[in-house]
Amino acid sequence: MLRFLLKRALGAVLTLFTVSVLTFGMFFALPRDPVSGMCPKNCDPQRLERVRQELGLRDPLVDQYANYLKGIVAGRDLGGAQGGRCDAPCLGWSYVNNEAVTDTLARVLPVTVSIVVPAAIGWLLLGVGLGMVSALRPGSWWDRAAIGFSLTGASVPLYVVGAVLLLVFVYTLRWLPVPAYTPLATDPLRWAGGLVLAWCSLAFLYSAIYARLFRAQLLETLSEDFVRTARAKGLSNTRVYGKHALRAAIAPVVTVAGLDVGAALGGTVITETTFGLPGLGRAAVDAVRAGDLPMIMATVLVAAVFVVLANLLVDLLYAAIDPRVRLG
Amino acid sequence: MRSRLATALCTATTLVAVLGACSANTGGSSTVDTGRQQTGVIATDPKDSWGPAPEVPGARAGGTFTIIRETPLSHLDPQRTYSFAGLMAAPLFARSLTTWKDDGQGNLVLVGDLAETPGSNVEDDCTVWEFKIKDGVRFEDGRPVTAKEIAYGIARSFDPDLTGGPTYLQEWLADTPQYDTAWDFAANRTALPPGLTTPDDRTLRFEFARPRCDLPFAASLPSTAPLPADRDTGINLGHAPFSSGPYKVTRFQAGVEIVLERNEHWDPATDPVRHQYPDRFVWSFGPSTDTAANRVIADNGADQAALSWDFVPASLVSRVAGDAALRSRTILSPTPTANHLVINNQRVTDLRVRQALNYAIDREGLVKVLGGPHVAAPNTTLMPPATIGHRAYDAYPAGPNGDPDRARELLGGQTPELVLGAADSSVEQQLATQLKGNLERAGFKITMRAIPDDAKLDEIKKRDNPWDLYLSSWAADWPSGAAILPVLYDGRGIKVAGNTNESYFDDPAISAEFDRILALPPAAQAPQWAGLDERIMREHAPVVPLYVDVAYLVHGSKVGGVFVSSVFGYPCLIDAHVKP
Amino acid sequence: MDGTLRTGTGDPIPAGRTVGRSPGRLAWMRLRRDRTALVSAAVLVLFVLVALAAPLIEAAYGIGPHDQFQRRLDGFGMPLGHAGGVSGEHFFGLEPGLGRDIFIRLVYGLRTSFFVACTAAVLSTLIGAALGGLAGYLGGWLDAVVSWLTDLTLAMPFLIVALALTPTLALRFYGQRDEVPPSFGVGVLIAIFAVFGWTSTARLVRGQVIALREREFVAAARASGAGLGHLLVRQLLPNTWAPILVSFSFAVPQFVTGEAALSFIGVGLTEPTPSFGRMIYQSLDYLQTDPAFVLFPGGTLVALVFAFNLFGDALRDALDPRSAR
Repeated sequence: MLRFLLKRALGAVLTLFTVSVLTFGMFFALPRDPVSGMCPKNCDPQRLERVRQELGLRDPLVDQYANYLKGIVAGRDLGGAQGGRCDAPCLGWSYVNNEAVTDTLARVLPVTVSIVVPAAIGWLLLGVGLGMVSALRPGSWWDRAAIGFSLTGASVPLYVVGAVLLLVFVYTLRWLPVPAYTPLATDPLRWAGGLVLAWCSLAFLYSAIYARLFRAQLLETLSEDFVRTARAKGLSNTRVYGKHALRAAIAPVVTVAGLDVGAALGGTVITETTFGLPGLGRAAVDAVRAGDLPMIMATVLVAAVFVVLANLLVDLLYAAIDPRVRLG
Repeated sequence: MRSRLATALCTATTLVAVLGACSANTGGSSTVDTGRQQTGVIATDPKDSWGPAPEVPGARAGGTFTIIRETPLSHLDPQRTYSFAGLMAAPLFARSLTTWKDDGQGNLVLVGDLAETPGSNVEDDCTVWEFKIKDGVRFEDGRPVTAKEIAYGIARSFDPDLTGGPTYLQEWLADTPQYDTAWDFAANRTALPPGLTTPDDRTLRFEFARPRCDLPFAASLPSTAPLPADRDTGINLGHAPFSSGPYKVTRFQAGVEIVLERNEHWDPATDPVRHQYPDRFVWSFGPSTDTAANRVIADNGADQAALSWDFVPASLVSRVAGDAALRSRTILSPTPTANHLVINNQRVTDLRVRQALNYAIDREGLVKVLGGPHVAAPNTTLMPPATIGHRAYDAYPAGPNGDPDRARELLGGQTPELVLGAADSSVEQQLATQLKGNLERAGFKITMRAIPDDAKLDEIKKRDNPWDLYLSSWAADWPSGAAILPVLYDGRGIKVAGNTNESYFDDPAISAEFDRILALPPAAQAPQWAGLDERIMREHAPVVPLYVDVAYLVHGSKVGGVFVSSVFGYPCLIDAHVKP
Repeated sequence: MDGTLRTGTGDPIPAGRTVGRSPGRLAWMRLRRDRTALVSAAVLVLFVLVALAAPLIEAAYGIGPHDQFQRRLDGFGMPLGHAGGVSGEHFFGLEPGLGRDIFIRLVYGLRTSFFVACTAAVLSTLIGAALGGLAGYLGGWLDAVVSWLTDLTLAMPFLIVALALTPTLALRFYGQRDEVPPSFGVGVLIAIFAVFGWTSTARLVRGQVIALREREFVAAARASGAGLGHLLVRQLLPNTWAPILVSFSFAVPQFVTGEAALSFIGVGLTEPTPSFGRMIYQSLDYLQTDPAFVLFPGGTLVALVFAFNLFGDALRDALDPRSAR
């Protein structure tokens, strides 16, 4: 177990390192000059050059990268134009947002988490529920309705669903407030009211995948020997489903869900754009558009951290749920 | 199996049916008075520069006034402010040396704001200017504003770390575009830049090497806002400016929200234009233009006292204009933002080609692409109609839909191959597609190249940029030809990057005219600029004037007092109030 | 499609079907009996035909994708008449603003969309099958490398990379003045999908191959001295085509919506290449003022993806009898 953990952790660190190197290299190839945004309106070449020097953009790429890593571990001094001393974990200064990158992250991350976590609970419940309904009575009207619903969810792009929901429930019927982010601690009701549409559209989109997955898994486990044995031993249907079949069928669902949540935490760009919520995804897109390199690096890294952590967690959970799996 | 399909189809059809409601569109539109004449004078009566500003009819104190905008204001540092939103937000918390009295109908009077008058021209040759500072103006902590703090504000605008912001005063004082090397702010924090002095606490004196007759106008920009040296937090001032206006910043959440609340030390008796009606102003950032408009139209809760800062998007114009119930909640006004198809004169050197480009454009179709007369008004002059002294003319009359035959005739059988650089934003791609269609109809061969939206402005300002044609716009910092024609068409100032002369037009005879007119007193300049405008177009056709922006704003039912600034074409907040 | 590219659902296809009774034939028979499969297949064939015949349709229709009809727009640039200008001449009406014919642009958009999605799906499936097969069969360090590559690919945020890369590549290859042919944008899109889309296929195939490699027929072939190529292509591939086919059939619709998602964040294909995604993205703003403009491209996209998903589902049922009813 410990060996497995160590091995995975090492792999995760290597993945993150590679992601950061790739991003660093890639975004230096951007056609956008990162300096032009920092220069006044009557910018001339000498001034541009001086800003470049100050930012260390004239240093070799390797040094720049090493400085970046050093900032994360120990903090560093960024100079007067970038807010001076930047404490660890220093991810640099965003001249577009005019603040330290960590401050921006601290602001946008809660938004994305608030969107994703409740939505994930929603899509898991909805997906597993629909999948169960259709698997228990395969071929019935219930089955057809559930699968039809979930297929529709998988086929309509989220932004179309979002635009229609907004038009109907917010602008026309006015049943719901305009999507906005209020911190949970400030006002739980407003927090939920402002995000409910985002949760619903995400749940509608993702539940399709889970419904079909869970249905297939459940049908498969129900046909497996241990379930038949349990039935033959005279256990009631409820016990067979509840204790044995569900437990075996839920393991792959957890795997997929873990990976999905990990990826979604890295930024739900489309959802955030559709509903105008200022989360990590929007911040990342804005940063790329503006050529805001420190911000790009940070958002990509944070997203990668989530995915890698989710991967790790899923492996552990899988072992906990499905007794057939042994870690090695 | 069949039922699975049937269910699925059913679900899909329902969705479709919800969207499908429709009725016949039989056409219809309305007209906007975009040709209205702008007037602008410098106040001669010192009483004009004193407050209190006349009450706005029906205005009442109290309430929270919200402004919804897609793009955040990244800072509120007066010395760094140059965006329209920043310029319109600044008067709430920053007072400047001079300011405009604006009726929102194009009638402007320049008055003193911190100063008792809009400046005195000491030697009558525009080289020495003095401003007497009013008694009784206070900062948010109650200490008085003196000439020292104003001078310090101007001095700190020399700091190259404080990016952005206008550079007129710095360049004029240092007499060079490289003002920050001429005078190093960081090394001289306790001194003042050359030419700027404070003979006493109530006097601010500018001495220039050359006549600068536009100084009173340039002093209306927020870069003349005062700041005590001990309150200068450098780049961090942007999140917490030190107020001298009727409101002070009490909350700055970068990218999300800015809250301004009453500044009790502001004295209306000293202020000729501002009011202090709402308890607080809230700038709320993030919602897309469409979302903002839809929110305000829905008129729900706090949005009843909200203004959608961005203009009504093209996709919603017909809905807003067609809804009689919304009429009282919309503002329609011309703006001074002129949009041109800029021709790169270094590349397109043949006058006949440039003239043919002017004949080929279908401005009526272009306005349709933009969303109709509530979004844009066709224009054929270099300066927008909202310039003082503007005179309408059309040097290349081609009717509303363009004259491709006349263009072909000028081209004389050749097929110029031109590259049109366009930002990769949705709107500009559509515009470029439209222009390409127009030009190819007239015998050109056009290649469209997409430029990343955020980089485009920087790219076309580079002298050796690779494109022949690009879309660009200009809104002057004050409504005089002096802030338009020499800025855009004087070829002597062309540098490697950061050019405002984006057509790279350079003609010695025209440049000489600029010098001649700039030395005239401001009042005498206006007709001269109008004449030169027409001469440049007829003799050189350096650009294709396309349209001027029209401001079309929608606000909640409790919003009052908002008008469109005659100077900048964006909503002005100094009269804003919340109706009960 | 939100923030991440997913292909297939990642669920393992149970291995270990009895070899020798031609599962392919059985699956084909089951598929032919499934009416959902037949109807969705017919719809898909119709879409493919329309896409292939786009130039012929243009000739018969008499209107090109770039022709403008601004005289049929009102002062606001909105189409005159019913349902966004639907008429005998313009089957699906006109775009607001530019006044181009929606029907013929849809036909060409379908063509682009199909080409991008199908090519990308073929490529990503090939990459995934090759990497997964090799990793599963050879194991050891290669397996470790492929697993790590999979993790790395999943960890790179797909939309952000696409957003940054697209304009950069155009600049690298065509400079700032040369015309960028539509095929270039299409190619970049395909490459991005292929590079980010292979992971789930690789996982599926890897699992299947690990299960198969110790089986008698593989061991027999190995014992008789068959080379690696022969083993992979002749012995293992025929027994892994089921998961490959299924993941292919789910990859195509995901790339179709993927293209639309890219347009939504402002990358994807630029004017003048007709694109489904951009059309839908632009139309969404007109939901209130010109619902027909949303309806036609949106409806077509949903129908296309829906048909693909239905067919993919039926295909999986046919290939895996245990999950069928």
